[in-house]
Amino acid sequence: MKRSLIVLILASSNIFSLLEIEIIKGSDNLSKVAFIPFGIEESVNENYGEQISTLIEKNMLLFGEFENLKKAEMLSFPDSEEDFYYRDWKIMGVDYSVIGKINSVNALGNLNISYSLFNINRRIKILEGEIVGRENNIEGIAKIISNRIYEKITGLKGIFDTKLAYIVNSDAETYQMCISDIDGKNEQILFTSSAPIMSPDWSPDRKKIAYVSFENGLAEIFIQDLASGERESIQALGMTNSAPVWSPDGKSLALVVSFSGNPDIFSYSINNKRLVRLTNHYGIDTEPSWSPDSKKIIFTSDRSGSPQLYEINTQSKRKKRLTRDGNYNARGRYFPDGKSIFFVHGNDGNFQIATKKLSSRFIETLTSTSLDESPTISPNGNIIIYATKDGSKGYLGGITLDGKSRFSLPVKNGSVREPAWSPLFN
Amino acid sequence: MNKILTSFNTFALVLLFLSFVFSIFSITTLKVNETKSIKVNIYEFIEIEEQPKRLVGAKLNETIKEANLNKIEDNSEVKKALDFEKYKLNKPDVKKELSQIKLSKEREVILKISAIIQDKISSAWIKPNSLSKVLATKVLINLAPSGEVINFEMVEPSNDKVFDESVLIAINKISFFEEILGLDRKLFESNFRNFKLVFKSSGEIE
Repeated sequence: MKRSLIVLILASSNIFSLLEIEIIKGSDNLSKVAFIPFGIEESVNENYGEQISTLIEKNMLLFGEFENLKKAEMLSFPDSEEDFYYRDWKIMGVDYSVIGKINSVNALGNLNISYSLFNINRRIKILEGEIVGRENNIEGIAKIISNRIYEKITGLKGIFDTKLAYIVNSDAETYQMCISDIDGKNEQILFTSSAPIMSPDWSPDRKKIAYVSFENGLAEIFIQDLASGERESIQALGMTNSAPVWSPDGKSLALVVSFSGNPDIFSYSINNKRLVRLTNHYGIDTEPSWSPDSKKIIFTSDRSGSPQLYEINTQSKRKKRLTRDGNYNARGRYFPDGKSIFFVHGNDGNFQIATKKLSSRFIETLTSTSLDESPTISPNGNIIIYATKDGSKGYLGGITLDGKSRFSLPVKNGSVREPAWSPLFN
Repeated sequence: MNKILTSFNTFALVLLFLSFVFSIFSITTLKVNETKSIKVNIYEFIEIEEQPKRLVGAKLNETIKEANLNKIEDNSEVKKALDFEKYKLNKPDVKKELSQIKLSKEREVILKISAIIQDKISSAWIKPNSLSKVLATKVLINLAPSGEVINFEMVEPSNDKVFDESVLIAINKISFFEEILGLDRKLFESNFRNFKLVFKSSGEIE
């Protein structure tokens, strides 16, 4: 469990210094939010008011980061600041309240919605906004409002309009490359094959996905355009190509190329189709991933005898070993701030998701299940989704970085593997 | 009748005086070698020599014998007297020890109250995810003797808006530290009238 020790400093040795009490541990509680049904003007469909607040509530509760006040426990349903009384929410233990109103709907079906967020403990309004959106896109409107509320409360980017790519293996001979909204809705099958599909990765502009397909017998990397559905094999040199990962600047793919059976890390420039070798070692080098500044690549190598994580500077080609604890540390990825990494840590036959600050020696395990793999992080750096197993069936689990919330994503027909979280919409 | 009483009183006084004089002469003096001093600790008898600290307890007799007690008969009364002498010899030390005990008791109370305050604030503080940032915010708290929070001020903000806001929310949730009530007034004034809370994003050394 990730919990720092409480340290206490007493600095009362002379009369001029004040007693200082150090607080490092926070509460295990979650912030409690009241999503008050939105009010409506006369001309508006009366269901919309509650529909939109319920959608916002569902979004905000999706990853277990907040607690809600049930509608039945609310003492009033204010839809404007004049009717809003802090004490009604303070006595219910609420930390934040969301109110709003659908002001109008015009002939084109455009809704005009205003909303506010109140900090109950500080007794201040912390957010006020207005949004215009189409009547038939009420879910999209709710996602935008949810993102703004989330960002105001947590200081982190809202992720409710992000997507997830994953592989579904419904039977031994059916592999599907799928994407869906982060809440599991609007699933789209991009490609179906009777041969294995692996390692999906999003382009930074969210318009393409790169993945490995064995449809022609050997591991081959394809880039598929999401809008047109067109697929293109990158046909790099070598026997097999695998583990493609887009650089954050979108110009290159890091990938694994195997000449005569020895996998090494390469960088492939998408525009001029040039392949640059980054590692050259008789050990297995695999699972590359870029640092957020596109300057370094983390990869797994067994050059020391067991799988460990290394970092290579793509310019100077200098390498650095990142993990030393245990005899299995693999599939490393950087956090969005580039200062920490997360990876799969093996320990006595258990494989768990672990994190490590690059400045520290220590690793911290996050999950408590035993066969976790392919972790992917939310673009705001607060949530990790990973593939795990219940018997032989694979499903996706998730955890918030503070460890307060663990969840699993809705079960699909078939085993779900290799989740890849999309970048944010720019 | 009065005469009898007076003479009885006089007799008693003389007897008292004589026993006093006798007792003075019956106490043997302890000669202390100039290179050695004996420090007495209330909890454990520790003899300090040029060598490292040594527990006296069981070895007391032996040590004292070695020093100067060849002439003195070995009986328990004499030993008691010797112990008494030792206290006498180190009066300033004893005073110091006593004041230190008082201090350590105060310290204990301060630690106890601090731990209660720490717990209370911790349970109200919903810590934001600060990613890898190492942040610290100092808040000056001003309490009434009743334990009521009269005022607070963020004296050293971390300049991370969300982190600082989470700290303000936590302190806003608490208006009383009941445990302060009944605390020794002097202790309160010197420690809890004004004190600082230091909120840290992680336990790492900066």
